[in-house]
Amino acid sequence: MSDIRLAWRNIWRNKRRTLLTAASIFLAIFLALIVRSIQIGWFDNLTEIVVQSYTGHIQIHKKGYWDDRDINNSMVFNDSVLAVVRSVPNVDKTVPRLEYFALSSYGKQTKGVMLAGTDPAREDALTRLSAKVVKGHYLQGTGNGILVSQGLASFLGLTAGDTLVLLGQGYHGISAAGKYPVCGIVHFPSPVLDNQMVYMNLATAQDFFSADNRVTSLSLTIKNPDEINTTQAALQQKVDGGRFEVMSWDEMMVEITQQLKVKTAGGKIIIAILYMIVGFGVFGTVIMMTNERSREFGVIVSVGMQKSKLAMILVLEMILIGLTGLVSGVAAAMPIMLYFKINPIHLWGSMAQAFISYGIQPLMPLALKPGFIISNMVTVLIIVSVTCIYPVRRILKLKVVDALHK
Amino acid sequence: MNIIEIKNLSKVYDEKTIPVYALNGVDLAFKQGEFTCIVGPSGSGKTTMLNMLGGLDTPSGGRIMIDGTDITGLKSRQLIDFRLRNIGFVFQSFNLIPVLTARENIEFIMQLQGVNREQRDKRTLELLQSVGLGEKINTRPGKLSGGQQQRVAVARALASKPKFILADEPTANLDSKSAENLLEIMEKLNREENITFIFSTHDSRVVAKARRVVTLEDGKIVSDISKNQGTGIQ
Repeated sequence: MSDIRLAWRNIWRNKRRTLLTAASIFLAIFLALIVRSIQIGWFDNLTEIVVQSYTGHIQIHKKGYWDDRDINNSMVFNDSVLAVVRSVPNVDKTVPRLEYFALSSYGKQTKGVMLAGTDPAREDALTRLSAKVVKGHYLQGTGNGILVSQGLASFLGLTAGDTLVLLGQGYHGISAAGKYPVCGIVHFPSPVLDNQMVYMNLATAQDFFSADNRVTSLSLTIKNPDEINTTQAALQQKVDGGRFEVMSWDEMMVEITQQLKVKTAGGKIIIAILYMIVGFGVFGTVIMMTNERSREFGVIVSVGMQKSKLAMILVLEMILIGLTGLVSGVAAAMPIMLYFKINPIHLWGSMAQAFISYGIQPLMPLALKPGFIISNMVTVLIIVSVTCIYPVRRILKLKVVDALHK
Repeated sequence: MNIIEIKNLSKVYDEKTIPVYALNGVDLAFKQGEFTCIVGPSGSGKTTMLNMLGGLDTPSGGRIMIDGTDITGLKSRQLIDFRLRNIGFVFQSFNLIPVLTARENIEFIMQLQGVNREQRDKRTLELLQSVGLGEKINTRPGKLSGGQQQRVAVARALASKPKFILADEPTANLDSKSAENLLEIMEKLNREENITFIFSTHDSRVVAKARRVVTLEDGKIVSDISKNQGTGIQ
């Protein structure tokens, strides 16, 4: 009779109690996994949207640029810089941009705009900008055609084929002025972007701002988003830390990150309460199991089993109950998480509207990652192990004669 | 030759307030193959004596030598190991492990001793047959009568090939037929295999079968009668 078999038989002495304890663990792990899956799914989805809509996973700027987004804080960009960045293994797509404010004018209308000079092919690979064109065509590889966001075009009263006048201040205060043909109109779901964006070729923008070979940012995506921190650190090592800053998307989008942190903390509190309830339930079972078998423990030790071995068998019993609940809980949650990962939940009502207003599809996919599944399983096992301290202490301090008379 | 020697054994409860002497300066010795009863009124110290002999309780004073080992000087872990290899126990309430079958209850001791499976199987079957339960090998205690459970308990006590068996009121929870049956088995094992039995009991049937009767009163031996050697009072 192995220790595991003995423990397994012991836990089924009181089937109802064992099943109730295992069921409480089942419910806790099941709910915890679903809650975490929703949270992480929401987090990943939002990250992907933020990353794909503009920022990329990581950006490299001249040091201090993010705090003072001035064209004079731009940096030189050339193939050798790109080669250094691309030498980091996890780096995927890269987009150099030169962004600064300018004044746009068409007819009698004038409006401040955010002018983004970019590499059209690379920009499209990162943000799928060409898919947002609602009139005209996307930027060509060369030429000085521009894309104007729909809200801005509507305000100025222009359309594809018209010419927009741009005025501004270039690098080191040089005057910037030019006329550019509008090749296309793009629509952004976010009103903020839709009312102020103008896109042009990077070379055209560098010419406009008199900023040859300069960019304000190099946006990049990475192959494995879970390795963002290590990739960021690797990039920071590769580039001159004194001259450049390497920022992850969450460092740049602080407001979004904070909102996510608040939501995540709320979920974690719910899970902690859930685990606390389960912990007390399991502890109750442990106390009952220990107290009703005191006499038996006395007999077992008196016939020659070491107390440490007896304690180990009791711990094994609790771990078996824990694993029964744990494995069944994970098995029940997995198909649900998988289904809603593949088929995201379609949001409705005001929440869906809120998503749409930010240019986000009203979908909520669930996450299915080994990391949070394992960490929740480990948490439950730790809770079960902690509850075992009581019986282990009881057994190690067992007085055989007293136990035999119970 | 004595296998157990007790010298000036005492056990005092509430030593610091009002001392109660459960055992008070007991000297006693047991030889291999004895079939001895310890009798006396309730509170006389019978169970305390058996607990001391079995290393389940620590004396307040005196020494217990078992086959040359002073068990009063052993540490907890050493005592447990000593019990496993030298002492068999039969309890009043049988105290079998309810989730194990008769066979597994007996095997359990041998497993703790590290006996290999082949030898365990052989000895388990022999023991169950010797207590007349060869057909109940795979039955759990809950499905056995009180008498049958106590016979399994005797077989379990014998499993470790102990130097002696301590039986604390083994017939107290049995009907007369089962008690008679159990006593016959133990007497046979004692006679044929020279196994030493030490009982504490109130049961006159057990006393009648014993070849030596030690009477305790107020923690002291008041008589020690060996039936085939006449009477001797310590």
